Amino acid sequence: MSLKRIRLLIWKEFTQLRRDPMLIRLLMLMPVLQLILFGYVVAVDVRNLSTAVVDLDHSAISAKLEASFAGSGYFRIVAHPSSESDLRPLLDRGTATVAIVIPEGTQDRLARGETAPIGIVVDGSDSQISAIGSGYASQIIAGFNNDLRDSAGVSLSPPGVDARIRVMFNPTMDPVNTMIPGLIAVIMMISLMAILSQAVVKERESGTLEQMFVTPIRAGEYLIGKVTPYAVLATAQMLVVAVVGMLWFRVPFSGNVWAVLTGLALFMLTNIGMGLFVSLVSRTRQQAQQAMAFLMIPTMILSGFIFPIESMPALIQPLTRLIPMTWALIVLRNSFVKGSDFGPLAVPLLVLAGFALVIFTAAVIATRRRISD
Amino acid sequence: MRATLDRIAAIVVKEFRHLGRDPRALLAVVITPVLQLLLFSYAISFDVDHVPTIVVDLDQSTQSREYLRQYQASSFFTVVAEAKTMDAVDSAFDLNQARLAIVIQAGFGQQLASGGQGEVAVLVDGSEPTSARISQAYSVAANQLYNQQLTQQWADAQGLDLSSLGMLEPRVRTWYNPERRSSDFLIPGLMVVIIAIVTVQQTAVTLVRERDLGTEEQLEVSPLRKGELMVAKLLPWTAIAFIDVAVIIGLGRWLFGVPLRGDLGALALGSALFVFAALGLGLLVSAVAPTLDTANILALLIAFLPSFLLSGLAFALDQIPVVLQWLSYAFPARYMVTISRIVFLKGGGFADVWPELVALAAYAAAMIAISTLLYGRRAAR
Repeated sequence: MSLKRIRLLIWKEFTQLRRDPMLIRLLMLMPVLQLILFGYVVAVDVRNLSTAVVDLDHSAISAKLEASFAGSGYFRIVAHPSSESDLRPLLDRGTATVAIVIPEGTQDRLARGETAPIGIVVDGSDSQISAIGSGYASQIIAGFNNDLRDSAGVSLSPPGVDARIRVMFNPTMDPVNTMIPGLIAVIMMISLMAILSQAVVKERESGTLEQMFVTPIRAGEYLIGKVTPYAVLATAQMLVVAVVGMLWFRVPFSGNVWAVLTGLALFMLTNIGMGLFVSLVSRTRQQAQQAMAFLMIPTMILSGFIFPIESMPALIQPLTRLIPMTWALIVLRNSFVKGSDFGPLAVPLLVLAGFALVIFTAAVIATRRRISD
Repeated sequence: MRATLDRIAAIVVKEFRHLGRDPRALLAVVITPVLQLLLFSYAISFDVDHVPTIVVDLDQSTQSREYLRQYQASSFFTVVAEAKTMDAVDSAFDLNQARLAIVIQAGFGQQLASGGQGEVAVLVDGSEPTSARISQAYSVAANQLYNQQLTQQWADAQGLDLSSLGMLEPRVRTWYNPERRSSDFLIPGLMVVIIAIVTVQQTAVTLVRERDLGTEEQLEVSPLRKGELMVAKLLPWTAIAFIDVAVIIGLGRWLFGVPLRGDLGALALGSALFVFAALGLGLLVSAVAPTLDTANILALLIAFLPSFLLSGLAFALDQIPVVLQWLSYAFPARYMVTISRIVFLKGGGFADVWPELVALAAYAAAMIAISTLLYGRRAAR
């Protein structure tokens, strides 16, 4: 192992990187862009749903009901169609995504002590809107009923359950607080895999890999020299995410820094191993690129980064355990949000260590074999 | 004109030969979308049920067991553990074994029996905000329901008639997808995202590769014009992307049973324009990127994230900050997701989607024109 040779290789990689100034700029722009997208799109709080109100009752009650929808902050009333048939074009074009239909005779029914149906129409072509819209609407009507009962002067004091709900760890339930810790792992995976998967296959395509073999460089030195520059780059990207996340998005950190760093180091080895492996088994750069996309997309979807694992079908859930990112996300999120220490993180850290050991060793052995062939 | 067509055809044949020489890559382009469709349509969901719940009964009375029965019976909750102390809750939350804890305080049964309020603490793990919100709503609803039952029982015992109170009752109808099947939500939008990922990546590298391999100079001295080269580079991938579109529509229709209610012609035209627009975007990347690595990363950045997050597939576009809404118009995916949903689910046709069709056509034309221009300028240097 010669430090001088490693240094020369690192210097060579950096020189190559510098030759394409756009690449470096892109790599630094990437975390910023992702922070904006994930911080403001994925973590968005659904409010102000465009709502059409069909008031067929024209009564004091219907006006009051409309006011409580408008005043809730969840619904923004954009249209007052005069009949239900006028709703169709509004929802078809997406002008409104929710509609409230107050049938004729609602006030009379209430006065007679009957149950009056209120129609809530949600646009089922959008899952987020339909789930949240119908939930909020039902909640507002329940609140309205309570007010009705109170104003009717019925003061009952039956026995009941007094349930106090307390949200632990993330009391505001602000999604940014879990999104940004996760993004640290995602950024590392994307940039390491994207560049390293090309690393070896690039040298092979341009024929410089053979030249490398006839030099005194050994496999271990080659690997370290090849990987170090990109590991440094990825670390810089992660720092950008962490700093912007904590200063701009005000994500609190309450865990153990060393636990996070251990997890990230293990996850980094795993990603380096995966990138090198893809690069070794691919014959062309295009194949490497496709293989990477093939690995990366399921990782993003199945790791629970955007969509909660609990929402996935029971058959898919065990599959998510086979993805290293799933465990890295547990380490990061539990550290940031729950303030977990080494103790509760032992299982995910051990699993990550297992992944790192197997994948990185396999990649090193494969590289060595390829080079000494 | 004739000569132009001949020259374009020659390049198209050349591109297909390249593809034919690498059957593994070709296979990947067709197989990957299918796998992605299967994976995504099962895995993407915001629906939460079977919330893992830990219950701590510090009262151990008939009433507390009665109260807990509703959590055991409901499919919204899965009781994963019954503990005697609060320590168990901490460790269950730390290890992500439970997302919800129901703690019944001592004296619960006595309070209820004496006509008072029994105390229950509901703890929600807020570290997974989507599930947390929904778990919270479920537990509020469960408690309301339980209280209604208690009130009813109490009223019956007191001989009161509660039915004289008028109430509003929400009747929720979900249009276009009454059963709220997630495949109906997802597949029309997923089709767009999958096509965007495949196409942008492919054309992003195509011009850079010619430059890397040195074949760019050869193309330059040939009678081929820049615009012809651009069109010819796009055509083979248009054909492949169209196969992908057809496969996805077929799978969605026959395997997942997604209804195709509208005009297939409008969908086909929309898909064609969209494929051209996405390929044009890839071509633009290829024209500006100096190296393959840059082209790859740039394509990844503009193909994957914006088409996933700024298309309206999973996150409603009218909810995000206005600046990002404007930004979403800069990527073709949002137009196509709208077309696809209107045609598939809302039964629309040309009359409903023409603004998006026009936008896509203009987008595609602009992309090809700009990349021709940029490529020409670079070559002239």
